[in-house]
Amino acid sequence: MGTLFFVIVILVALAAWFISIYNKLIRYIEEVNNNNKQIDIQLDRRYKVFESLINVVKSYMDYEKSTLKEVVALRNQAQHAAAAGDQEGKIAAEDAISKIASNINLVFEQYPALKAGVNVEQFQEEIANTENKLAFAKQAYNDSIQKYNETKKSFFESIVVTMVPDKLNKEFVYWNLPAEKIAEQEAYTVNLNKPPKE
Amino acid sequence: MNYKGFVSSAVDWREQLRSNQRRTRFVIVMFIALYVLLGLLIDVFLAMQTIFPPLPVTEILRQLANLQIFPYATLSMAVVATISIFVTYSFHDRIMLLGTDYHQVTPETAKDLAERQLYNVVEEMKVAAGLRFMPKVYIIEADYMNAFASGYSEKSAMVAITRGLMEKLDRAELQAVMAHELSHILHQDIKLTLMASVLANLMLIVLDMLFYSVLFGRDDRDRRNGGNGIVLVIILLRYILPITTILLLLYLSRTREYMADAGCVELTRNNQPLINALLKIHQDHLDHREQYGAAYSQTPHEDIRREAYLYDPVQCGIEPIKSLSNLFSTHPPIEDRLAALGYQAQK
Repeated sequence: MGTLFFVIVILVALAAWFISIYNKLIRYIEEVNNNNKQIDIQLDRRYKVFESLINVVKSYMDYEKSTLKEVVALRNQAQHAAAAGDQEGKIAAEDAISKIASNINLVFEQYPALKAGVNVEQFQEEIANTENKLAFAKQAYNDSIQKYNETKKSFFESIVVTMVPDKLNKEFVYWNLPAEKIAEQEAYTVNLNKPPKE
Repeated sequence: MNYKGFVSSAVDWREQLRSNQRRTRFVIVMFIALYVLLGLLIDVFLAMQTIFPPLPVTEILRQLANLQIFPYATLSMAVVATISIFVTYSFHDRIMLLGTDYHQVTPETAKDLAERQLYNVVEEMKVAAGLRFMPKVYIIEADYMNAFASGYSEKSAMVAITRGLMEKLDRAELQAVMAHELSHILHQDIKLTLMASVLANLMLIVLDMLFYSVLFGRDDRDRRNGGNGIVLVIILLRYILPITTILLLLYLSRTREYMADAGCVELTRNNQPLINALLKIHQDHLDHREQYGAAYSQTPHEDIRREAYLYDPVQCGIEPIKSLSNLFSTHPPIEDRLAALGYQAQK
C-alpha cells in the first residue's frame, strides 16, 4: 500500500513536470511565430506610413507648383490686361489670384503640419519611429528564438523534446542579412565632402 | 561628475540579469522565512502560556511540526498576508500618481511633437519587449528630472515622466529611460516590492503586539515555564527585525534597479544613452538642488513613488521625505550603476 502510494505520487509528479515543460516550449514556439509576424506587421505599417507621407508631400508640392504656375499665368494675364487698358480683364485676373491665395491659406489651415518647418520635424519623427519599430520587431523575433533554442537544448527539456520531436523541435532561422549583403554594408562609408554620384 | 577619466565599454547585460535574479530570490526567501519564523515564535509563546504541565521548547516545536499543537498563529498570519498582498495588488495603481499634476498622453491627445515622440519611444520599446499591451503614458508637470513605472498587467501598467526630464533629454536618452521603466514592468518589480513591504509591515505590527503583550501581560507563569528566554528573544527581535527588514527592502530595490538598467540595455542594445541620461539627471539635480528640493517636498505623497523613481533624489542631498531611511538610498550609488552599465573610472 505504502509503496503503491509512493509510486503513484512519483508518476503524478513526473506527468505534471512533463506537461509543464511541454506547455512552456509550445508557448515559446508560439511567441517566435507571433514575433515573426510582428515583423510583417511593421513592414506593412512602414509601407502605409511612407505612402501617406509621400502623398502629403506630393499633393503639397503639386499644389504649390500648379498654384504658382496659375498665379504667374494669372499675374501675366493681369499685367497684359492692365497694359492693354482692358479693365475688365485685369479685375478678373486679380480676382483669380486672390482666390488662389485664399485657397493656399485654406490648405494650410487644413494641414497645419505643413506650416513653416514643423512638418519636417514631424516627418523625421514619424520616419525614425517607423524604422525603429521595424528594427525592434526584428530584435524581439531574434530574442524569442534565442529563448526557445536555449530552453529546448538545455537538460531535462531536451529529453522531453526527443519524446515529442514533431511538436516541440522547430528550427527557426534568426533574422539576418545574407553574407554578400553584410560584406557590402561593412564596406559602406559616407563621404560628406564629395557630393554623391548619380 | 562628467566624462573625464572614464572609459566606456560593453556590458554583459545577460549576466547582470541572471545575477540580480539570484539576489532577488535570496531576499524573497529571507522574507518568507522570517515571516514563518515569527509565526512559529508566537505559536511557541502561546503554547508556553496555555499548556500545562509546561513543555520544553524543543518538545513544543516537535509537536508543532507534527500538528499535535495546531500552529494557529503561523496560519492566521499567512492568511492575513495573502489577503493584504491581494488587496495591495489591486489598489496600488490608483495611488502611484497621487499628489502630482499629471495628464495622460495618447496618439490622439499628444499636444506637440515632444509628447508624440514620448509616446512613440514607449511604443518602440513595447515592440522590442514583445509586450502584449501598451502601458499608459503620463506626463507629470514638474521641473525636476525623474520618471517611474508601475503595474504589471494591461489594466495597471503605466509609465510616467516629468516634463523636465522629457524636455532635457534627446530622443535616444528618452528611449533609454523609457526602456528602464518598461523593464520594471516586464520584471514585475512592483509585485515584488509590494509583497516584500507588506510582509515587512505585517511582521513589525505582529511583533509590536507580541512585545506589548509580553511587557504588560506577564504573570508568574512565565517564570515557572522558563519563559524568560523567549521574552528575551522577543525584546531583541523588536529592535533587530525593523533594521533587518529595512536593509532587505533596500537590497531588493537596489537589485531591481540594476536589473532594470540591464533590461534597458537588453531592449535598446545600447548602453550609452542610459549612461548619458543618468549623468544628465544627476548633474541637473546637483545644479538645482534647492529648487528641486522644494518641488519634491511640496508634492504630496512623494514617499509612495520613491522606490519606483528612476533616480533617488536622496543621492544628491534632497530629502523629500523626512525619515530614518534617508540614511540609505533605495537606489545603488550612481557610480555603481554607471559601472554596471560599463562606464568605469580609469585606473
